[in-house]
Amino acid sequence: MEVTTYYSLTSMVEAGRRKACDKEVISFDLFDTLLVRRIHDPDLVKLPVARYIAELAKQQGRHWHWQKVQERRDHIEQKHRAETAIQFADHEACYPLFMRELLLEIFQSSYDDVLLEKVTDYELTMENSMLVPRQILVEWIKELAGAGKRIFIISDMYLPATHLRQLLKYAGLNEFVEEVISSADTFLAKASGKAYPMIAEKYSLSPRAWMHIGDNPISDGMRAGEAGIDAMIIHDPGEQQRKSIVKRYYNYSDGRPFWRGRVLQQLMAPLEAENQLNSALYSEGYNFLGPLIGVFIQQVARFCKENEITKIFFLSREGWTFKRYWEKAMPSLYPAGGLPEIEYLYVSRMALAGASCAHQGLTKANADITFLPPGNRDFRDVCRIFSLEPEAFICHLTKFGLQADTCLSHVHDGYVPKNRKNFDAMLEDDSFQDEVKRQTGEQSLAMQQYFAQAGLFDHKHIALVDIGWLGTIQRFLFEAIAHRADCPTCFGLLFGATRGIPYPESDKNIIKGIMYDRNRFDLAASTLSYAQDIFEEACRAPHPTLNGYRLTKEGFELEFRQTNDAIGKAELEQDGYFMPLQQGIIDSAERFAAAAALLGYYFEDWKPWLNYLLVTKLAFPRTKEVANIRHRHHLDDFHGSKKPKSDFGKGLVPLWSQSQLRLKFNPFLRMRCFFSHLRRRINE
Amino acid sequence: MKSSLNSRYDIDGLEISRLARVALWSKFVPMGNFHGGPGGRCLAVLILLHYLGYPMYLLLARYGHRLHLLRRIAAKFRT
Repeated sequence: MEVTTYYSLTSMVEAGRRKACDKEVISFDLFDTLLVRRIHDPDLVKLPVARYIAELAKQQGRHWHWQKVQERRDHIEQKHRAETAIQFADHEACYPLFMRELLLEIFQSSYDDVLLEKVTDYELTMENSMLVPRQILVEWIKELAGAGKRIFIISDMYLPATHLRQLLKYAGLNEFVEEVISSADTFLAKASGKAYPMIAEKYSLSPRAWMHIGDNPISDGMRAGEAGIDAMIIHDPGEQQRKSIVKRYYNYSDGRPFWRGRVLQQLMAPLEAENQLNSALYSEGYNFLGPLIGVFIQQVARFCKENEITKIFFLSREGWTFKRYWEKAMPSLYPAGGLPEIEYLYVSRMALAGASCAHQGLTKANADITFLPPGNRDFRDVCRIFSLEPEAFICHLTKFGLQADTCLSHVHDGYVPKNRKNFDAMLEDDSFQDEVKRQTGEQSLAMQQYFAQAGLFDHKHIALVDIGWLGTIQRFLFEAIAHRADCPTCFGLLFGATRGIPYPESDKNIIKGIMYDRNRFDLAASTLSYAQDIFEEACRAPHPTLNGYRLTKEGFELEFRQTNDAIGKAELEQDGYFMPLQQGIIDSAERFAAAAALLGYYFEDWKPWLNYLLVTKLAFPRTKEVANIRHRHHLDDFHGSKKPKSDFGKGLVPLWSQSQLRLKFNPFLRMRCFFSHLRRRINE
Repeated sequence: MKSSLNSRYDIDGLEISRLARVALWSKFVPMGNFHGGPGGRCLAVLILLHYLGYPMYLLLARYGHRLHLLRRIAAKFRT
């Protein structure tokens, strides 16, 4: 019978439509025809499964390195194939049989069928994550089924038909397919041609009315032809190109660490119907911010496992995105579990600042933080941040020769150093501190009730995950609970720690930046400071910021900022603008996890690529990228609204605040900004 | 509107040509630690694959069988 080779899927489907008119049965090969793999080598999908089995064994006190697990799996599979070859023409193996034997060998008496089920589920999840249905074939199959044709899927594969059915579910094809036939069930494969007569007999098919489509010229072409079946072979150069690219990235990543991140992104990339036209912001979320957050989350999980942290609190509002990413990524990254509990904690600098004063009073270090942002000028700003009523301090201020409006910041007009010294002296005054504690006491009680309800005091070691930058949220949070006997050890894990002011670290209060930490020189990662606000806006939760905690009759209440004023409305507008960006980030989570699990790499492996990513996108961005990613509005209640001296902040305008015109037509602008950044980092 | 992966199987916004430019700049300007960077040969192969991969594989798919003789000669030289 006729065997025709086609070099494009479109031409094959066109010819297939014509041929299918006088056929009753159309069968398809599954792998590399109906479903294509993201990875060039299907055996690579077995590696995360070996790691999973090794981890399960470790949980039971059995020490099996994953490479040994993989070696035993290959050995047992080969043995099964050799045994099959004694009775059958094909060298086939059946997954449940050889996997059962492998698990029995590893887990011995503690083996049970639930274990096999768990491993099989993970193997199918990994397979599924690496398989993509070819859109044009999916549409054709639906069309054929609609025309009353009988559709069969035939595969030479170690997974039995029941498992292949699960893979077809993802493609949405189960309902259109009459039967899935796998060589693992009968050991009669297409390779020898024995499968075709067996299928014809079992399902009463006439070879004359049967057309088979596949990619292998021997098993799908020649053998089908020998059985009297019309065959169409697809030889798609586009697919060969794609696989060849993935193969090179994968192979190069072995010797050159730089490519490890690139192969990750290549494996994450959407294919076929997943690769839809979207806004430029979606692509930025998917290709730029998504992988960065993925690596951050992966490192958080690793850190928590290494340090026996039993609960992670994702701090509002950026923690909202981190938590969502975690929920999507962890099932693939850590299938064996053993991860800490997670919780989203409503906090903010403004809400915690006041509560932090209830026991220790207002410290000089905390008061100094108030005057870091240039928009804060006087004691009223201190009161705004620490939730104090300035009127109650008039007598204290007068005692030290100050007024509520006396300028205390050197970046404002009217600053007299003596006033700042008087202010520092006032902080030493007991009656002043008593008033501070009195005013913030209730807020602290409400906060502690909320934290207790969230389970913060039920663990010895907790992680506080936040975007960054100075660590003020964790500083205030820890100070607010440090007096308690059940205060846990707090590990602050920040996306970027730009620090700026010394952090009061202790054995129970530790903070570190994961992607960037100013305490270690990392030029490429330091480019995060080019556009910190963008990271904040990209990860921000779609709820208003927390203003404070209030005691009520029932217990406590969270007080959120209003959304009906100009700032609230601006924030809502910003939410709408960044919606595609956030969608891109979240959509990347599962694919990041699958690709990272398959590659088995960690933070240090991705780092060279991340460095490139940050430098390229932040320090040398395209004009269009700046226009797209630059946020429209950014709320920061901590920063006051007072205007500093006219000469303050004059100098080189930051790159991301430059006009589109300058970005487009000034060829040296990026390099100038970068050298200025480099000088600052060296001088730190 | 655009897709996250372009028709050359290159990642939108992180194209291989952009990477090559940054890799070149990083030879002269300290840009951070790229752990050895991409490597010239790897870059050249990948640029070739991304930009000329499709016509190359199309030719190979259609006429690759005619290269058997050349491949055998090349294999002899390799050994």
